[in-house]
Amino acid sequence: MDSRKMKDGILQGLIYFSTAFTVLVLVVILGFVLYKGLPGINLNFLTRMWDSKTTFVKVVKEESVDNNTKDGYISSLGITIDLDEKNKVYITEIESESPVKEAVNLKNDSYPIKKGDIITKADTTIFENITIEEAATALENGNETMKLKVVRPGGGIIPMLVSTIYIILLSLLISAPIGILAAIYLNEYAKAGRLLNIIRFAIQNLAGIPSIIYGLFGMLVFVQMLQMQYSILAGALTLSIILLPTIISTTEEALKAIPATYRQSSLGLGATKLQTNYKVVLPNALPGILVAIILSIGRIVGESAALLLTAGTVAQIPTAFTGNEAAAATLTTKLYWLIKESGDLSGASSIAIVLLVLIIVLNIISKTITKHFLAKQGNK
Amino acid sequence: MENNKNVIDKQAHTDMAEVRMKPNRVRDIVEKIIETIFLLCAMASVISVIAIIAFVFWKGLTPFLGDNSYSFGAFITGTKWDPGNDIFGIFYMIVGSVFATIGAIIFGVPIGILTAVYIAEIAPKGLVKTIKPAIELLAGIPSVIYGAFGVGVIVPLVNKISPRPQGESLLAVICVLTVMILPTIINLTEASIKAVPKSYREASLGLGASKTQTIFQAVLPAAKSGILSATVLGIGRAIGETMAVMMIAGNPIGGIPSSIFDKIRPLTSNISMEMGYASGRHQEMLFATGVVLFIFIMVVNITLIKITNKAGEK
Repeated sequence: MDSRKMKDGILQGLIYFSTAFTVLVLVVILGFVLYKGLPGINLNFLTRMWDSKTTFVKVVKEESVDNNTKDGYISSLGITIDLDEKNKVYITEIESESPVKEAVNLKNDSYPIKKGDIITKADTTIFENITIEEAATALENGNETMKLKVVRPGGGIIPMLVSTIYIILLSLLISAPIGILAAIYLNEYAKAGRLLNIIRFAIQNLAGIPSIIYGLFGMLVFVQMLQMQYSILAGALTLSIILLPTIISTTEEALKAIPATYRQSSLGLGATKLQTNYKVVLPNALPGILVAIILSIGRIVGESAALLLTAGTVAQIPTAFTGNEAAAATLTTKLYWLIKESGDLSGASSIAIVLLVLIIVLNIISKTITKHFLAKQGNK
Repeated sequence: MENNKNVIDKQAHTDMAEVRMKPNRVRDIVEKIIETIFLLCAMASVISVIAIIAFVFWKGLTPFLGDNSYSFGAFITGTKWDPGNDIFGIFYMIVGSVFATIGAIIFGVPIGILTAVYIAEIAPKGLVKTIKPAIELLAGIPSVIYGAFGVGVIVPLVNKISPRPQGESLLAVICVLTVMILPTIINLTEASIKAVPKSYREASLGLGASKTQTIFQAVLPAAKSGILSATVLGIGRAIGETMAVMMIAGNPIGGIPSSIFDKIRPLTSNISMEMGYASGRHQEMLFATGVVLFIFIMVVNITLIKITNKAGEK
């Protein structure tokens, strides 16, 4: 009896230890990411471009009426300037009527100056090791049409956020219809047999292939052979193959949950199979399909290896589908790049926080839908 | 159930055929076309698998064929990777990948199974509601974040106890992979434990076994096939993991690891590290590395499919 108690005790201890370990690991990971990354999260991080951008702009000054003598206020431009910690002159405030809002760049395209922009040169005066008074005088006394060299500071994740969203939309646009129709075929049309076995075998295999292999394939076929270069389209095409198994199996589960009587009633009323699928099966499977899509978004947000080889690591907002303008770093690839190329663990952790928030939100949404869906089905 | 549905379906069809006096040609054709489109979508998976295999193997086998070919033996048994001098040996990478996977399985599988036991059999309902989302989150964390965690926490810790000057090592990789496969193992094991009929437990308890004995001698053996497929899936995850591993493995240019503190260079990180700038034979050799990885994965996949199909037949 005693040895049995001891054995039970040891095993129970191991069970508790394992569970505690699992939970603890998650706590440590979250704690580490928050500790390292939270100081780097601020409005600038979330709203700015990644690279700082230097532009020459022309501003037509206005006759000043306001005689505000506040430190660093320039009435003819309607702005207030200050020095930042690196002694650079930056704009702290812009009046609503300020002429800098009508500023144009050298190609005469509109380039409104924004709060936070750094001025490094006004006409011929270079703003280096300068006091606020000197800078204000130079700005106030400059030419009627003043030429300013403006640096818009970077350090934000907007390009990666936008690229991630583009890639999500593109890949879903490709794989959601294919995956959903495939699931309908498998559940509603296919007859047991060799073809069905082959398709199922292929889907199971796709689910097991690691993303680096998809990356190799995408790089060879989309990036090189189809000459898309590192681009969002190459990345999205690769990802849409990765997503197929998830979308197909989740949709199929939703289809299987629809009672056979629904279909029979519809068919019995004289509807064709297509009409039944379109008007009865699909609407009832909608919550499940939604879950499939949300799971896919989660997968895309977290994907990195395949995108590293197909979409590149350039932090820019893509303006094309293929080619140089379409290269895009997503949040994950940038996170990797930050650690590997610049050893910036804090910056990487800040991105990690953004990623985690996205993943948690997606988890909650899919949970809510599933719960709602199940409750509804239970009532029927 | 399935059969029943088919019978009723067929009946519905025949009923309709009788009602429909004149066959509606156009409608039939449209239906046929739509069905074909659905079929094509379903075939997309098959085509993708074939295309992936064809292209990766074609590119990966090129360097070993034709004139001026590289010896396949030297490739598979070599212990040095030096693209600059045209030396491509991946044996030490295979060893690294296999060691890392075995290590992760040794730690991850027992911890995962025991955690699943706790969730499915022991934990009070309220606690399950906290632990389950935690595990879901663990499963959803992108692998680059595991990599950052490895770089920021595991590698410095390993560095403290390691006789080597660096913390990047087989041990660090094993630690991170263990954590990464946990959610897979836990979820699958939990599902298969839950599928064990209640009567098993009642019978065991009724015979005088303790709760712990019941779990380990009645429930877990009955959940065997689920646990087995969880393990195989875990192997697949571990061997295919790229980003997290690449950041903490050290990735030396040669040498079979002889201690857990040695750096390793898994097959996956070899590919992703150099693919960005490789060209010509170097690039083909990276594809060849992909082929070797692919073969490992195929073996894992097919084993998994066999296990699940067998379990499904029961």
